[in-house]
Amino acid sequence: MVTVMKHAQKGGAVTIGFAGSGRSESDRLGPVAGILSFRWVLAAFVLILWFVYYPIIDNFVVSTKSQDIFTGETAFIGLDNYRRLQGDPVVRTAIVNNVLYAVISVVFQVFGAFVLASLIEGLAEERSRRFWRAVYFVPSAISITVTGLLFYFIYQPNIGLLDSALTQVGLADWSRAWLGEEGTAIYAIIAMSQWQGFGYSTLLFAIAIQKIPRELYDAAIMDGAGTWRRLWNITFPLTREMTGLMVIVTITGAFQVFNEVMVMTGGGPNNSSQVLGTWLYQQGFIENDFGYGAAIASVIFAITLVTGFAQLWYTKRRRVEL
Amino acid sequence: MKAHTFLSTTSFGSLVVAAFVVGSVSAASAADPVVADPNAKVNYSGTVSVLTKFGLQQLSPFFVEVAREYEKLHPGVKVELIQESDDSVKGKTKALVASNSLPDVYFTWTGSWGENFVRGNRAVDLTPVIGPDTEWGKTLATAAVSAFQYNGKLYGIPLYLDAKFMGYNKDLFEKAGVAEPKTFEDLLGACAALEESGVTPISFGNKEGWPGVHYAGQLLAYNVPQATLEKDFVPATAEFSDPGYVASLTQFKQLVDECTDGSGTNGSSYASALQQFSSGKSAMYYQEIIEFDQATVEGALKREDFGFFKLPVPKDAKGDVDAIEGAPEGYMINSASENIPLAIDFMRFATSAENGKVLSAPPYGQPSATVGGYSADTMNPAVVEGLKAIANSSYLMPWLDTANPPRVAAAWLSGLQALVGGSMTPEEVMERIKEAAASSK
Repeated sequence: MVTVMKHAQKGGAVTIGFAGSGRSESDRLGPVAGILSFRWVLAAFVLILWFVYYPIIDNFVVSTKSQDIFTGETAFIGLDNYRRLQGDPVVRTAIVNNVLYAVISVVFQVFGAFVLASLIEGLAEERSRRFWRAVYFVPSAISITVTGLLFYFIYQPNIGLLDSALTQVGLADWSRAWLGEEGTAIYAIIAMSQWQGFGYSTLLFAIAIQKIPRELYDAAIMDGAGTWRRLWNITFPLTREMTGLMVIVTITGAFQVFNEVMVMTGGGPNNSSQVLGTWLYQQGFIENDFGYGAAIASVIFAITLVTGFAQLWYTKRRRVEL
Repeated sequence: MKAHTFLSTTSFGSLVVAAFVVGSVSAASAADPVVADPNAKVNYSGTVSVLTKFGLQQLSPFFVEVAREYEKLHPGVKVELIQESDDSVKGKTKALVASNSLPDVYFTWTGSWGENFVRGNRAVDLTPVIGPDTEWGKTLATAAVSAFQYNGKLYGIPLYLDAKFMGYNKDLFEKAGVAEPKTFEDLLGACAALEESGVTPISFGNKEGWPGVHYAGQLLAYNVPQATLEKDFVPATAEFSDPGYVASLTQFKQLVDECTDGSGTNGSSYASALQQFSSGKSAMYYQEIIEFDQATVEGALKREDFGFFKLPVPKDAKGDVDAIEGAPEGYMINSASENIPLAIDFMRFATSAENGKVLSAPPYGQPSATVGGYSADTMNPAVVEGLKAIANSSYLMPWLDTANPPRVAAAWLSGLQALVGGSMTPEEVMERIKEAAASSK
């Protein structure tokens, strides 16, 4: 009797062979099988090539040109746009702001969220756990435009919620135009971003913690390990992959930030809250300098790529498996 | 390796949109100049796409109604509206240009903004159909049509006139014992008295940057001779060395410090400031004539309590003291449009005297550029008076952020925010403008 069985091939293709025949179709076809199996991923490969990799290369090509979008005239200028980047004071401000965004976000949305998720998952009752997960997740469900407008009113000078609260508690001297001062605008935006992203990170960490076998904690308790010991020696190592992923997501997200700044300050006052994304937009769509905008995009790409690979390499080295 | 996939997606994703837009730039190229044919037969079928600046809830019904009426007259035609706000129309238009997808009819300001479309042969030369001796041209205010003149040809269809005035609350002025100021120095004195009476003298929101540029523009018209200003608008001849520039910025800073909430105004939007004025919490608000109806629409400020005056002239002003900052705003026809005669016909309909009267009256309050396109009986009396003030002005000073090339405009916007915030002096701001002008040559 001949039985039909399926087995996966290298490259994800599935072929049907005959049990007992001794040789599968792939064995018979040899290298042709590899080429044939490639057809299954061809569509996805072409799409990725066209929509992801081609624009990256094209972006670099554009960054070596001076373009007038109205006349369509272009001129090759080599690396002039990259040289200009070095002397552009707003690019320096933007990079500092992106780094600030990344550092503060990693502190709050990775380590802060990790601690909070551990506390929530440590609660005895499932109902309480569900309740707190939902409470912290709600801000993430609000669109960034709505959040931006909400915080715009919170930060309004004199009449805003924040200044009013400061006045109520006797700290009227601290009240200010949070979004209107060059020294505070970017911090006000970052604070809003933490409020919005914190719950989402917490939820992801909660899921990672739920996957850790309960027996490990029971054994640690029997050995006399306290809360912090269990957190440090069990939870933290076993969620390291999630932590690594969250660090990548947070840092790359911090270098791609755009909406928050556009909605709240548009990069002002006096370009003090510009980030690379908004400065790219300003150059391309306001100042008509798409070549320079493309050079800024290349910088964002390089930073996020290097960060991502560095973090992946580190996480892989320190991976803990059960 | 999910993480790798994710990394690829996130790292590269941010570039995809920008790269696609810039990538398509290379494909976009200027067409040959297109001149409107006055004898062309209109084919009343197909779609006319229109990009407007009437995205605000209060204004958007105007074009919706015009489109509906036009479709009723010509059942074979479909009018497709893309309605944007003042701020969003700038980015939207450039994205459409970069991707070679401009609609058949699109909004434009005068000055270098409109000149960009002409330079790129993206606007139809309308001289044969809108010139002063043509049937359509005779129905439009000649000065408004001329504002869209480039290289001796006419490219724009003016829809309404606009200019900047200081709106004030007569009731609050009376309570503070303040009269309408006649000079800039009087205005500063009035601010002190109003402040003492417990109200914010001028509500000012400069989050967008351009509200500050509007103050500076009017002061520049007063302090810098017109010929110098116009020479400085052109990158090849720009110098920005006239002492009137620094004088204007010094006056602007004084006004911000003595009449508004000061540096905090960089954190408030133009719309918030309007709200503060219309709810009676501030005594003055520097606004466009097209906003007169909005100021009194549903706030504590009643129409009869609303007054206005031109920003008063400072002592020893060396420019044109009869000038007013403002310009008509209008529309251009895309030279790549497949049905240019239809697009022109639609705009001819939109600028009819009948539609002009609707546009000029509340709730729109946009003074039509069509001759006979408004009736004093149906309009807000303040708008009627404002139109007279515009007519009596010797020069219409264009908006600085649309008259200058983009890089110089950006320097004005950020420089004036720095001046308001106190991080730059007038001299430093002018240095920034000069640097931007030098790099735009």
